[in-house]
Amino acid sequence: MVDGKLIDDAVSLVRRRWTVSPQVGVILGTGLGGLVEDIQVEEDFDFGEIPGFAPATATGHRGRLVCGRLGDSPVVALDGRLHRYEGHDASQITRGVRLLHQLGAGGLIVSNASGGVNPELLPGDLLVMESHINLMFLQAGPRGQGAADDMEWADRPGRWRTSPYYRPWIERAMATASAGGFRATTGTYVAMTGPNYETRAEYRMVRCIGGDVVGMSTVPEVTVASQLGMKVLGLSAVTNVSGPEHQEGASAEAVVEMARSVQPAMRAIVTAIMAGENYPDSSQ
Amino acid sequence: MLELFDQIEEAVAVIRSRWDGTPHAGIILGTGLGSLVEEIEVQESFDYGEIPHFPQSTAISHAGRLLCGTLQGLPVVAMEGRMHMYEGYPLKQITLPVRVMKALGADLLVVSNACGGLNPDYQCGDIMVIDDQINLMGDNPLIGVNDDRLGPRFPDMCEPYDRALVERALEVARQEGITAHKGVYVAVAGPNLETRAEYRFLRTIGADVVGMSTVPEVLVAVHSSMRSVGFSIITDMCLPDELTPADVNEIIAVANEAEPRLRSLVLGVLAAEVSG
Repeated sequence: MVDGKLIDDAVSLVRRRWTVSPQVGVILGTGLGGLVEDIQVEEDFDFGEIPGFAPATATGHRGRLVCGRLGDSPVVALDGRLHRYEGHDASQITRGVRLLHQLGAGGLIVSNASGGVNPELLPGDLLVMESHINLMFLQAGPRGQGAADDMEWADRPGRWRTSPYYRPWIERAMATASAGGFRATTGTYVAMTGPNYETRAEYRMVRCIGGDVVGMSTVPEVTVASQLGMKVLGLSAVTNVSGPEHQEGASAEAVVEMARSVQPAMRAIVTAIMAGENYPDSSQ
Repeated sequence: MLELFDQIEEAVAVIRSRWDGTPHAGIILGTGLGSLVEEIEVQESFDYGEIPHFPQSTAISHAGRLLCGTLQGLPVVAMEGRMHMYEGYPLKQITLPVRVMKALGADLLVVSNACGGLNPDYQCGDIMVIDDQINLMGDNPLIGVNDDRLGPRFPDMCEPYDRALVERALEVARQEGITAHKGVYVAVAGPNLETRAEYRFLRTIGADVVGMSTVPEVLVAVHSSMRSVGFSIITDMCLPDELTPADVNEIIAVANEAEPRLRSLVLGVLAAEVSG
């Protein structure tokens, strides 16, 4: 793997200060950084000090690796992520997932903010990702981009053909949302590069091809996580409804604000998923 | 992306050394607008090679000069010859001239292109005023660290083409008896023309015409807070079930035939700009 050395160096850095093996890795997207408050932080690392990582530049993204505990379970979280629209390539965007995996995470919970194109969605809804469509023109794994150089076609997990998202976690997420009285639905996330918000014609396209929401992230990370055999849960905060016929201008600030309102549902789900993973605590 | 700011200033400095006008509009003379040059009272012209960071154009039927002058008394800068993604240029370089137009003072972008018609109601040779666009080029000129001096991180695209200008163009068309549609332009990278299956796909997702330009320039115009108006000449109908091999000479002939009509529309739109 082209960037294997960078991952090894990053793992060594973390291991010098934190020796726990987490069961689940979390990527905290736009406006969802507050989830980190639930984590008892044991160590944290700015992206700038991790080999192969670039500082996050996006609105609402902090850019650090947080190691600690959520309830009784060890957890490692990327507080902020890198996006294609910031100019990063596939291997940079997905390097965080490889790090989480190398640190021991067998599962990935990834969150993002999105615009709803399914007319049944309302701002503030939670969409549990059932599937996604990659319109980023950014393969997570071509040779030479360092994302999949160690993988042959035959290695691709069979479940990719059905869904990269782990069905029991989808069901637990929906049950948790239901029990907590949160509006939630399952659906399909369409990823485009951005950074501009979509045109009305693009929203119609996204709806026409089967998308429920559209965003600018997550698909590269999920593709690599799936390739690595990780269980994946994707949670999308619907921050605005971008129907072609009733579109108002979108603003980054409003998106971040609305994403915050979805945090209670996200926190409840992440906590429930973690509690359900009864792994032996490897720190003992 | 932070280097763009300096590149713009260097390009502007060269232009300013020979021309001190403040353009109202920047015009990209794409396929079908080439002869508009004859209407421009040129005060100064620059080969692209003379302007720092400007790319060289290689495409068929495109020269490579920036013209500064007046059109019907309205100060303009016009690009004679444009660059395309399929020529291998990065989108940031292709769109740099738009940023230079803005830096010179232009707040309006006029752009034209030749395209393939997907909407079966259209006819070869018709003109479409672009109402909206879909970016399927697989790239975006705004990718990279955003320079807040040039525009916002997440530009809103709910009205990439100025609605008032679209209506004005259609009004001019009605007055002049010119057939003009209003529709959606989808941009692909090319350079191959699309397959029948791709035409079906592009029609299905809501496009009326397909081409290989314009979208990057308009994205940057929106990022730069410029108004845009765009015109497509349908040089070739792309109906998947009656497709024949494309002939570049025929396409250019159709574009030439449509040129006087497109010129009337552009002049009509700009005339209203003069009167305010």
